[in-house]
Amino acid sequence: MPALRYAGVSVGYDRTPVLTHVDLELDPGQRLILVGPNGAGKSTLIKSVLGLAPVLAGEATVLGESPAAARGRAGYVPQIDTLDADFPVSVRQVVMMGRYRSIGWWRPARAADRRAVADALELVGLADRAGHRFGTLSGGQRQRVLLARAIAAEPRLLLLDEPFNGVDAVSQEAIIAVLRELAAGGTALVLSTHDLTVARELADLVCLINGRQWAVGTPGETLTAGKLRSAYGGHTVDLPDGHTMLVEP
Amino acid sequence: MSWWDDALHRATAEVILAGCLAGLVGVHVVLRRLSFLTMALTHATFPGVVAASIIGVNILLGGIVAGGVVALGVAALSRRRGQDASAATGVLLSAGFALGAALVATQSGFSRDLSSFLVGSILTVGPQDLLTTAVVLVVVAAVLLVSARPLQLIGFDRAGAEAAGVPVGRWDIVLLLTLEVVVVTMVPAVGTILAVSLIVAPAAAARLWSGRVVPMTVLSVVFAVGSGLAGLWISSRWNVAAGASISLVATAILAVSWPATRIRPRPARPATT
Repeated sequence: MPALRYAGVSVGYDRTPVLTHVDLELDPGQRLILVGPNGAGKSTLIKSVLGLAPVLAGEATVLGESPAAARGRAGYVPQIDTLDADFPVSVRQVVMMGRYRSIGWWRPARAADRRAVADALELVGLADRAGHRFGTLSGGQRQRVLLARAIAAEPRLLLLDEPFNGVDAVSQEAIIAVLRELAAGGTALVLSTHDLTVARELADLVCLINGRQWAVGTPGETLTAGKLRSAYGGHTVDLPDGHTMLVEP
Repeated sequence: MSWWDDALHRATAEVILAGCLAGLVGVHVVLRRLSFLTMALTHATFPGVVAASIIGVNILLGGIVAGGVVALGVAALSRRRGQDASAATGVLLSAGFALGAALVATQSGFSRDLSSFLVGSILTVGPQDLLTTAVVLVVVAAVLLVSARPLQLIGFDRAGAEAAGVPVGRWDIVLLLTLEVVVVTMVPAVGTILAVSLIVAPAAAARLWSGRVVPMTVLSVVFAVGSGLAGLWISSRWNVAAGASISLVATAILAVSWPATRIRPRPARPATT
């Protein structure tokens, strides 16, 4: 069973489509990168998988169910600037939030939950920061804590919205290594970025979008100068070394 | 003659109970940045309390109904995309106050004067008020304890909470209605308008002293109860209005905490890796 299947899907808000013609299928253990300029609909597509943005047309299946029915089953790493960094929570408490779904709102955490939290922090390389306040960490460390929180929930499908924004090189490498490990363990990954280098390095599948889906396939098939130009509206520059540089409109 | 027959004794018990209530709920108000909304709730409570008093029903009921309407209205407005909740909140704030003032003006020879609803009259607190405050305190403490995890998750990461399938809107309503019940319960002690200072100031001061929720909550309660007791003492000693002196003590604690916590040594910055 595919982790994610979209057939002719349009997504948007208030009956106005933001993104149309989405056709893709993601198997367990595959890594899908959503590439497109700002405002292309990357976040909306992710929100539709989470059941938070309505599917206006077509058929969407998330972990074998409709997105609304699957709500809460897919893991999610939000953009770090959407959360309240002043909120007084420790790193350990943030990661424990990933276990609330299995613990429930009222029962105390069990030994298995505490172990899952410690393991997830170990995996992202922040075990020594467990007692620190979340707001005192750097942007890259915060992103890794949110990744650890998602991992602690042990999802079969994990969505990450721009996980490399405002993240230093060390944290980016750490995150990429963890994502590879998760995929190797069978977790299906969807992540959005406008960093084409990361997309080439990490993707099994790339979905090129800007208002509609322009291409889906391997990085070699999709990240070509012609396809990028059509998706980005001609705002690309061909460099002498054969690569294509994108110029945001 | 029992201990409870003395008005000052009853007032002391009431400020302790009301301080606990204000301190507990204040932490959520400060962490969720709901101070302005609390201000609107207190003002919207005013006409409800006056109307209940005119009709002759329990003022607690009137206040909860009026404040509940506002709480639900603001929750609904803030769910609509593109709506500026602060504009609606601001309008409700002054409209509520105007409605209350108009209602008071319609009554000649009003049994309880305007100021007792606005700034409280702690020395007229009766055994029934004390019992109400005590029961509300137990209920509010239980509600906040039970909803600690969802409120923490939503306050920290609203988008993540929604994605995790948490009914965010329903928990918002739980918090707003809890806040409203606290405001109305505090009317006899400090009035509708001054309730906001006893809810916000101690918690805001506690936030300066601690970066963790549990110590912050303890400090918030201590500051709020301390403000109540000190305000009551000042009031009886120098014959100043009790509600006003309680509010001023709470404000003074916040005013002193700000410079005091700034001269404390800052924790070392963690290495950036």
